[in-house]
Amino acid sequence: MGLRAWEYAIRESAVSIRRNGLMSLAAVSTIGLALLILATFLTLAANLQHMAGYLEAQVEIRAFLRADAAVKVRDETQQAISALPGVTKVTFVSREEALKRLRQQFGEQQGVLDAVEEMNPLPDGFEIKVDQPESVEKVAAAVEKLPGIEKVKYQQGLVQRLFRLTQAVRTLGIALAAALAAATLFIISNTIRLTVFARRREVAIMKLVGATDAFIRRPFFLEGLALGVVGAVVAALAIWLSYSWLVTGISLSLPFIPLVSRQPFLANLSLVLVVLGAIIGAGGTLFSLKRYLKV
Amino acid sequence: MVLMEHVSKVYSNKTVALLNVGLEIKKGEFVFVVGPSGAGKSTFIKLLIREDLPTQGRVVVNGQDLATLRPRQIPLLRRTIGVVFQDFRLLPNKTVYDNVAFAMEVVESPRRDIRKRVPAVLDLVGLRQKARAFPAELSGGEQQRVALARAIVNNPALVIADEPTGNLDHETSMGILNLLLEINRMGTTVIMATHARNLVNAAKKRVIALEKGRLVRDDEEASYEITRTAMTAGGRR
Repeated sequence: MGLRAWEYAIRESAVSIRRNGLMSLAAVSTIGLALLILATFLTLAANLQHMAGYLEAQVEIRAFLRADAAVKVRDETQQAISALPGVTKVTFVSREEALKRLRQQFGEQQGVLDAVEEMNPLPDGFEIKVDQPESVEKVAAAVEKLPGIEKVKYQQGLVQRLFRLTQAVRTLGIALAAALAAATLFIISNTIRLTVFARRREVAIMKLVGATDAFIRRPFFLEGLALGVVGAVVAALAIWLSYSWLVTGISLSLPFIPLVSRQPFLANLSLVLVVLGAIIGAGGTLFSLKRYLKV
Repeated sequence: MVLMEHVSKVYSNKTVALLNVGLEIKKGEFVFVVGPSGAGKSTFIKLLIREDLPTQGRVVVNGQDLATLRPRQIPLLRRTIGVVFQDFRLLPNKTVYDNVAFAMEVVESPRRDIRKRVPAVLDLVGLRQKARAFPAELSGGEQQRVALARAIVNNPALVIADEPTGNLDHETSMGILNLLLEINRMGTTVIMATHARNLVNAAKKRVIALEKGRLVRDDEEASYEITRTAMTAGGRR
């Protein structure tokens, strides 16, 4: 083994990819397309989940203090809320803290908050967690009656619907990608069959002079791997460019929609795509080699 | 070198290719295998290079019983055997040099050895000057010399030639035969399946004759046909 064998295999697979140009192109584009569709759905799902997480933070009840409430009123109010039935946790959130959280939710679009930095418009408040969703309404009503409280906010149904949507989008994306992966395997298998056919003389002679099966398979394996990885890189490039473009566009025109930050999301997604591409390419080849190359 | 005991080969369509063949070929021998088309010569060779297994009997090559050979050991067996065919089987898109070097490359020989060994072998077959030519630019005889060079480049103990002169005229055929005899003189065992009566008669080597799958004759220093003298003088082994 060693470098020599791989050198031969690399040279042969490069020649073969060029020789079967059109079929190689078809294989690369199907793999690319399958992975791009998967990536699109994953991106969509990630953003929906991000949005759901953002809204989930609001499932709990938020009670805002009157702007003129003194520290004493604040402490009394906190104790009063803690004493209510169903309440499990009460956290004080200062206006500075509230602004910081808002920044996190905005991710890359946090530039829009720079304007309000100087004169923070957010009030002090409490985050109230309850033991079960059914308690939310009762607790909220009770809190609202407390003297120090200006306003109470809570949301619930929206979040659950959003979570269900995220799940559906992710399942659909994976199903579609799986169907396309099957088509991809078919195309890879055909590409490899052509390659085997084009190189049948070489293969016969290799067997005759005593090349090992591993040696004979290696160039085909590399060819499939290369097709898969190139397809994945194409898909990664496409999703990278279009998502960047989307994030820039949305943060300009619709700054209040919370999007997943580009990094590390795109880097991770690309890594997943390349690994999947390699698996599809190499796996598809090994699968078809068994059929077309009886060594 | 080669031992066959009670070897029969029946194909799945009930064709009997070989029937109860027994023979021994010693190291350093030169043996012709003769017989009409369909006599079993090709099957005989396929069994030797373990392309096929006999339905009955034992084939031993280089001390190894081929029936007990595991699949991953087959390539190692074939590295000890050089094979030449009637249709040369050269790669048209590789030069003479690369065709011969290919046999060394695929068994993963060090590059230094390839650079030394290939020119030496091309010298032996008299094609040093044509090293950069492509097979299509060569005559049939020259192409067969390239194939021979490829067969011996890995120093096999046994060379098998399956109708190596089938596509060549008499003079060219004599050249190939002489080359095989030369290879044999250097210690390599040679088995040559052929129809070419004049070659067999010129070489005066051991002749094994097959007919309808049976071994019908096995004579030392024999000629192609069973002559009266051979019948009386040449004893069966």
